[in-house]
Amino acid sequence: MSQRELAIHIFRYNPEDPNDEPKTETFTLQEEEGMTLFIALNKIREEQDPTLKFDFVCRAGICGSCGMLINGKPTLACKTLTKTLPDDITLMPLPVFKLLGDLSVDTGTWFRDISLRTESWIHTDKPFDPEAEEERMSNETALQIYEAERCIECGCCIGGCATANIKPDFIGAAGVNRVARFMVDPRDERDEQAYFDVVGSEDGIFGCIGLMACDDNCPIDIPLQGQLAYVRRKMAAAGWKR
Amino acid sequence: MELQRTYISGKKTDFLVELVQTISGLLLVAFLWTHMIFVASILLGVNAFNALAGFMEHYHLLDAAVIFIILAVGAHVGAVLRRVPGRWQEQKMIWQHARTIKHNDTWSWLFQAVTGSAMLILIIIHVFIVVYAGIDSTLSAERVHSWMLWFYIVFLFLAEYHASVGLYRALVKWGYVKRHSLKRILTIVTICTIGLGLISLWVFYSLGGSA
Ligand code: SF4
Ligand code: SF4
Ligand code: FES
Repeated sequence: MSQRELAIHIFRYNPEDPNDEPKTETFTLQEEEGMTLFIALNKIREEQDPTLKFDFVCRAGICGSCGMLINGKPTLACKTLTKTLPDDITLMPLPVFKLLGDLSVDTGTWFRDISLRTESWIHTDKPFDPEAEEERMSNETALQIYEAERCIECGCCIGGCATANIKPDFIGAAGVNRVARFMVDPRDERDEQAYFDVVGSEDGIFGCIGLMACDDNCPIDIPLQGQLAYVRRKMAAAGWKR
Repeated sequence: MELQRTYISGKKTDFLVELVQTISGLLLVAFLWTHMIFVASILLGVNAFNALAGFMEHYHLLDAAVIFIILAVGAHVGAVLRRVPGRWQEQKMIWQHARTIKHNDTWSWLFQAVTGSAMLILIIIHVFIVVYAGIDSTLSAERVHSWMLWFYIVFLFLAEYHASVGLYRALVKWGYVKRHSLKRILTIVTICTIGLGLISLWVFYSLGGSA
C-alpha cells in the first residue's frame, strides 16, 4: 500500500476563551495501514498539538461519543478508515450540540433533555412485584423494540438535520425513534393521546420536513425513515380523533 | 414549561396545518399533471385542443379550475410559509449547513423553497392571463411565439421540479414507499412531463410562426 500524506483540516475554537476566534488548522500526517480517524487524531495530539480537543471512549462504534462532521458528513470518527477518504480531510464538530472546544461537543445534556421531554420510561400503574415472573412478549415485538433501542446517541442524525439546526426545541430523529420504541412496548400503558401530547407538534414529528439526512447518516443504520413515518401515521390518527 | 408555551401545548393545530400542506400539495401535483396532459392535446391537432377548451368553458370547468387553483395555492402557501426560514440568521445558518454537509435531499429542499417562491409570482401572472384572454389555440400560439416563450419554459421547469420533489418528500415522510426506487420513478416521470410540455410548447411556437 502506497502511504499517502494526509492533510487534516481541523476546526479549532475554544468558546471559553474570549480572545479565541473560530478557525481551521491544518495538520499533515503520514497515513498508516488500517488507520482510523481515532488513530489519526490521537497521533496528532501526541506528536503535534497536545491541546487538541476531541472525544473517544470505546473506539468501536458503541459509545457514540466520537460523532463529528467528516468532510461534511456526520458520522463516527472511530469507525471511519482514512483509506476511505481523500488526501484532504476536513473535521468539524457536530452542530446543534453545545461546543466544548474544537471537535468536542456535549451530546449528553441534549439527550437527557429529550428523554425527559419525550417521557422515555415505561408508564404503568401496575405495582411492581419483584418476585413475579416477567411478562412475556412476542419475539417480533422484542426485535422491534431492540431495533430502536440500538441508538447509541451519537447525535449524527441531529447534527445533520437542517430543522434541528434552526429549531432548538425540535426533538429530531433520535427523539422520535425513542418515542417509537415505547409505542411498540406492550408494557407501556400510554394511549395514543398521551403520545400526541408529547410528539404531536412542530417540536415533535410534525416539525420534520423529510430531508432524510438522519436516515442517510445514522452510522448504525437504524431505519429512521420508517420510524419517523410510523410515528407520523400514529400521531396523524391520534390528531384526527382529538 | 414557560407560560407562553402553555398557549400552544396539546393543541392539534400543528397537525392540521401539516395536513393542509400535504393535501393541498398532492392536489396541486394532480392538477399540474392533468393540466399538462390537457395542454398536450395540441399534439392531436388544433381542433382537438380547441374542442377540449370549448368543452371546459361550456361546462364552467375553467372557472372551477381557477377557483381551485386560487384556493389550493393559497392554502399551500399559507401552510408552507411556517417552514421557510424567516429570519436572516436562520437563512444564513441553513445555507451554510447545506454547504457543509453536502447532502442532496437537503439541497433539494432549499431549491424547493426557492422554486416555490418564484412560482407564486409566475402562477399569479399565468392565471391572470388565462382568465382575461380565455383559452384558444391561436391566442396561445401567438403568446408562445413571443418573448413569453421564456416565461413558459422557466415556469414548466420550476413547476415540474417543485411538484416532483414535493411529492417525493410527502411520500417519504408518510412512509409508503422505498426512498431510492421512488426517486428513480419520479425522475423519469418528471423528465417525461417536462418533455411533453416542451413538445407542446414547440407545437404552439411553430403554429404561431406560420400564422
Ligand atoms: S427527516 Fe429531515 S427533518 Fe426529519 S428528522 Fe430527519 S433530517 Fe430532520
Ligand atoms: S438514531 Fe442513529 S444517528 Fe441518531 S443518535 Fe441514534 S445512533 Fe446516532
Ligand atoms: S469512540 Fe465510541 S463510538 Fe466512536
